[in-house]
Amino acid sequence: MTHHVVLRVVAKLIIPLILLFALYVQFHGDYGPGGGFQAGVIFSAALILYALVFGLDSAQRAVPTTAVRVLMALGVLLYGGVGITSMLLGGNFLEYDVFAAEPAAGQHLGILLVELGVGITVSTTMLAIFYAFAGRRAAR
Amino acid sequence: MFVAALFTILLTMALTLVRALRGPTVFDRILAVNMFGTSTVLGIAVIGFVTDRPDFLDIALVYALISFITTIATLKYFEYGSFGCGRREENG
Repeated sequence: MTHHVVLRVVAKLIIPLILLFALYVQFHGDYGPGGGFQAGVIFSAALILYALVFGLDSAQRAVPTTAVRVLMALGVLLYGGVGITSMLLGGNFLEYDVFAAEPAAGQHLGILLVELGVGITVSTTMLAIFYAFAGRRAAR
Repeated sequence: MFVAALFTILLTMALTLVRALRGPTVFDRILAVNMFGTSTVLGIAVIGFVTDRPDFLDIALVYALISFITTIATLKYFEYGSFGCGRREENG
């Protein structure tokens, strides 16, 4: 899409804002609407916009498929790891109270880590689905 | 006052849906869907004011960003027949 100057300039302006908003939704999820899933979807929407405007090759150079595959598993690992860690510390699965001396602080930390895992997994899974869809014609 | 505005926006959305369903060309439909997205953003913001929950503005902001991407994706699909084509393939 070499000729679409307006589209490329607007996309360049808007992609950092979408990424920033995704991080806001991710880390403000404790206090307002938001959370890992929504943030992951918004984050991947920004990368999908990049792939749409600048081509799939550029997007795959920016976020390689290997990284997508590793991060998909890493998010789930983070989620499960938090649960297992809370079991090792003497609580139930995903019982956040045991992470810190004070239960509220432990819950804060646990929710943050779990939502981070959800966000990483969701964003990379969405991106993997898009890569699979967009690369369909090239593979044929 | 906000309720009246909300019903006006809903009326606009109904009219754009009619255009999206009847539109003779695909560009009419895309324009109608884009308009529908814009009306939805306004509607969400107004609902936020009606129910006195300013958090809804965040959701309206997300919807504005996502509907922009939707329009770009649909247009690109109809223009090139694929989501993946980049700068090089276009010249060939």
